[in-house]
Parts: sequence; structure tokens; C-alpha cells
Amino acid sequence: MAGQSPGTAIARPPGAQPADPGDAFVLETTALTKQYPGRVTALDGLTVQVTPGITGLVGANGAGKSTLIKILLGLLEPTKGRARVLGLDCQLDASRIRALVGYMPEHDCLPPDVTATEFVTHMARMSGLPAVAAKERAAESLRHVGLHEERYRQVGTYSTGMKQRVKLAQALAGDPRLLLLDEPTNGLDPAGRGAMLELIARIGAEFGISVVVASHLLGEIEQICDHLVAIEAGRLLRSDTIGSFTQSSQVLLVEVETGTAELADALRCDGLDPRPAGRGLLVPMDGDTTCDVIRDAVAGLGLPLARLEQRRHRLEEIFRDEPVPAGQPSTRASTRASTRASTRASTRASTRAGTEVSHVS
Amino acid sequence: MSADATGVIHDLGYQRYDGDRLGRAQIVRTLTVYSLRAAFGLGRGAKAKIVPVSAFALMCAPAIINAFIVARGGTRAFPYDTYSAPVRMIIMIIFVAVQAPELVSRDLRSRVLPLYFARPLRRGDYPVAKFTALATACLIMVEVPLLVLYAGTIASSHGGGAVWAQTRALLPGLAIGLMWSVTLAVIGLAIASFSGRRAYTTGAVAIYFFLSLALAEVLIGVAGDGTAGARLGGLVSPLTVLDGVRQWLGGTSPGPVPAVGSYGAAYGVMLLALVGAGAAALAARYRKAGLA
Repeated sequence: MAGQSPGTAIARPPGAQPADPGDAFVLETTALTKQYPGRVTALDGLTVQVTPGITGLVGANGAGKSTLIKILLGLLEPTKGRARVLGLDCQLDASRIRALVGYMPEHDCLPPDVTATEFVTHMARMSGLPAVAAKERAAESLRHVGLHEERYRQVGTYSTGMKQRVKLAQALAGDPRLLLLDEPTNGLDPAGRGAMLELIARIGAEFGISVVVASHLLGEIEQICDHLVAIEAGRLLRSDTIGSFTQSSQVLLVEVETGTAELADALRCDGLDPRPAGRGLLVPMDGDTTCDVIRDAVAGLGLPLARLEQRRHRLEEIFRDEPVPAGQPSTRASTRASTRASTRASTRASTRAGTEVSHVS
Repeated sequence: MSADATGVIHDLGYQRYDGDRLGRAQIVRTLTVYSLRAAFGLGRGAKAKIVPVSAFALMCAPAIINAFIVARGGTRAFPYDTYSAPVRMIIMIIFVAVQAPELVSRDLRSRVLPLYFARPLRRGDYPVAKFTALATACLIMVEVPLLVLYAGTIASSHGGGAVWAQTRALLPGLAIGLMWSVTLAVIGLAIASFSGRRAYTTGAVAIYFFLSLALAEVLIGVAGDGTAGARLGGLVSPLTVLDGVRQWLGGTSPGPVPAVGSYGAAYGVMLLALVGAGAAALAARYRKAGLA
């Protein structure tokens, strides 16, 4: 394939000069403020650094996510402060930044009367690729997003999920160093959301492209992000790795049909700190062995285990540093594995089910 | 992530592009060529080709008829400066009314503009590319028939002197064609860029050109021959303004506007005002167009 060499993961187009992709920030803002006419403040002194990887940009609608993206693309001038993307200044080097960044808008942006191939090829050319390379990369991008078979169909005949994939493909076609995805799961059904998130995770992990995903759905974003930036009313709420958000916050819910008190005593003897919550016990996770300790305690007492599942704080609560409200699960759906005997097997199954379900929410 | 869902894609892998990248100027040129092709329905479905292709064929018809007339010993049937005035006016109005929305309303409708603006292009590049494309398309529509007219005529001419006379007459005609193209393109795009609904913008462009033309003809007719009113009546329509400027610049063939006499400069000013207003409206439109 002309002009492409597999395996050169750090090859850069001319003009890009971010120092070392390993430790440079993919984006960096300093006291970034944007006031629209009429005293509407969209961003209010936002200072944040984002490292390579997949970063979630979370906030409610109107929190300033879209304004931030427009400033990063050099389409809006900040009122105050500075923003840098891939080491380039957003106001001075906007054109070069836009050559290195792929953008997937929140809204529909596809003309219905062209085929996906033609559209993505044109958009790749608009990113500065020569004709032949644009054609090749359009075909590749469409294949990566899973639209290889349907690529000669007119976009107007596509389902919402397929359209979202075309939007992602056009962002990917120019071989960006950074992808800015604005609400990529908008309008998708649960299966479509899952597939889209999987795709984004793969782009981040396997393609080696840094991704910033703006979303108001925390439950989705936490599944795929390495790093989370939460903004509210144009201000930074918190910016941290996803691990530090969830590690301290994980608790296990244990329900036995009888003998809750005995189990609580037994667990205290094992060095855990169970608290009563509803019909069960909430046990803070203390490393990987907690599940095993509980399982052994339940089995030792011969109690009928009804439920054992992971609970998490809602991310909103984490951001506000509120204590976990007892008995209020973050999972929208909870799985009941009401098994009496064979404690060990049901514990495993139930734990896994609980974790998976919590990801769907 | 389950292996079966990703296996195929994983095997193919992602390849970086480290070849050449085009600069902004080349991207603008690419967009211009893409839009020019779209103006003739190239790269689009068969339906998109109906209007531009039949308009082009009709525009060429007088020139082809001329070739037969000249071949049978007749003189050139149409002047280079006005061509066949009614044919040219009606067909160019239809062409611009259909193709200007094709170039700009379509992008507004599908909200594809943010994708352009998120790329190396700057705001002003987009209207410039679209204008260049439509003006070039109009130039092809206007000038190719003139060249056919010229070729058909000189094919039956004898002697270098006759060919030179034809060439000298053709050149001002080509200049007038350029004036037509720029004017029609900028006005058509300025109107079309205000809505994403192609039916409305096509209607708006057509109504503006046809109504103002009809109004000009009524004014000229009411004022009566040779009056100042008849000479100034053409100022209300871009097409009659173009004809007035043609006469002011020395065009001698009779056109839709009666002899402009000493009012020629007024037509020149009006033409500049129309083109300026169109360009300003277009620039303002795309300065405001945001990401959403």
C-alpha cells in the first residue's frame, strides 16, 4: 500500500512536532474561560491536562463540553486563558491542530445521497490526504468500524447505528493523533451503544490513537476510559484516572436468606467491616480476597446465599465526594441468583452477572 | 470485549498514514473541483445530472444551428456578445437556481459544515471554493456555446482575415461571459446559502431572477422608447444590468435593454453593487455558521 508502512506507530505527518508522545499531554488548558455575548459563561477558568489514552469528558448538558471542543479545534476564541492540543497552541496553530485531530460531532452530519465510501473519501481528502491515499484510508476506516460490506450503499439507507459508524470513520480517515468524539452513543440502542464503546476502546488500545469522549452518561464512559475529566458549569470538578475513582469506592452486597447477623459477626472476625443495608450487608472491598472470605464465611455457616454482587458509587457521587448512600445500588438492574446450595458456584455467577449488568446502565 | 466480535478487525490491524499531506491551498482546490463536478452532477446519481446536462445541451443548440446555417453559406446567426439572449437568460437562471442550492444548501441541510470546519480549512475557504466552483460551472455553460459558435463559423470562413475578424468579435463575448458567470454565481450562492431546504432556495433564486427580469421588462415597456425611464428600467434585474454594462462597454448587438445611452455608468455601478452585496452576504453567512 503506497505511502503506508505498517508498524510505524509513532510516524507523524510533517508539521507535527509534539515532543515525546509518551509523556506529552494530548491536551492542556490553563485558566480557560469562555464567555458568550450576554454574559453566558460556558467555561470558567478551566485548567486540565489530559494524557494519552482514552479520556472521558463528562458533564451534564450545558456543562461546557461542546464549547471546550470548539476551542480545542480553534473554532472559538477563548475569552481568557490558553489551550494546547498535541503541544500546539489552539489559537496560533489551529490549522495544524485540525489536520491532526479527528472530530465526530454529536449531531447528524451525513448527506444522504452519497455512498459511505464517497463521503469518507471526500472527508479524508479534506483532511489533506492525496486522492489515492484518501480512497485507501476511507476503505480501511469503514472496515475498521465494521461497514466493509455496506460501504457502497447510500448513507440515507443506513440505520442510526451505521450512521454513527460512518461519522466515526470520517474522523478516523485522516489518521488523527487525537479523536474528539462528542456523545458518540447518541441515539443508539443498548446493543449499539455497547458496540460503539467497544470500537472506541479498540481505537484507543489497539490503534494507539488518543481519544477524548464527551458524554453525559457516566455509566458508559467509565467502561472504556483510562482517565476521567468531569466538568460542571464550565469548571473542573475532578480529573483523575478511572482507577482512583473506582478503587476506593467498591463495595460488595451480600444477602443471605437467613442468618444475616451471624454472617456479620463471622465477617467481623475475618477482619471485614460489614454494615447492614436493607436485607443484606454491605462489605467494603479490601483487595481481591474479599469475595473469597465472604464465600468461605457463608459456606462455613451453611447459610443460603441469595445475592453477592459488586456495588459502586454513582460517579456523580464520587465527584462530589459524598458518602455512599446505604442500600442504594448504582446498578439499575440487579440480578438475583437465588441459590441455596453450591455456594461457591453461585457466588461466582452472581458476582459476574452483577458486574456486567452494572455496565449496561 | 469478546474475541469473536473483534477478531477479524484485530487481524487486519490499523495502519498509520505517514505519506504526504496536502496544504490548505490544495485542500481548497480539491473542494473546488469536487463542487465543480457536483455542479454538473458528476459523482452523483443519474437524477442529479438531468438538469445540468440538458441545460448545457440547450445552451449549445443555437451554436450548433449556427454551424449548419454558416455551412450552407449564411452569415453568423448569433452575435458573440449577446449570443441568443432569451435562451441564455432563461437557461442560466434555471441552471443557477438548481445548482447553487446543490452546492451550498445540501451541506447546510445535512449539517456537514462542522466537518469541514474541523479540518484544516478556514471559514472563508468554504464560500470561496463554492463560489469558484459555481462561477466556473457558469463559465463553462456560457463560454462553451460561444466557442462552438466560433468554431462553427470559422469552419466555413475563408482566409485569415475572416478568421481574425471572428476572433476579434469573440474575445469581448468571452469577457462578457465571465462577467455573467461571476455575477450569477455570487448572487445565486448568496440566496441559496440562507437555507438548507433546497426546494425553497431553488424557488427563491428562480423567483428573484425571473421576477426582477419581468419587472425590468415591464418598466422598460411602460416608459416607452427612448425615454430615460426605459434606459434606467434595466437596473432592477441582474440580467438586464449585465446587458446594460455590455452596452456601456461597447456591445453593439440589440439586447433586452434599449440603448443605455449616457446611463451606462449607472449600470456599471449597479453591477458592482450587486456583486459586492452578494459577496458580503455570502461572507457574513459563513462567518456565523457554527459547529452545530
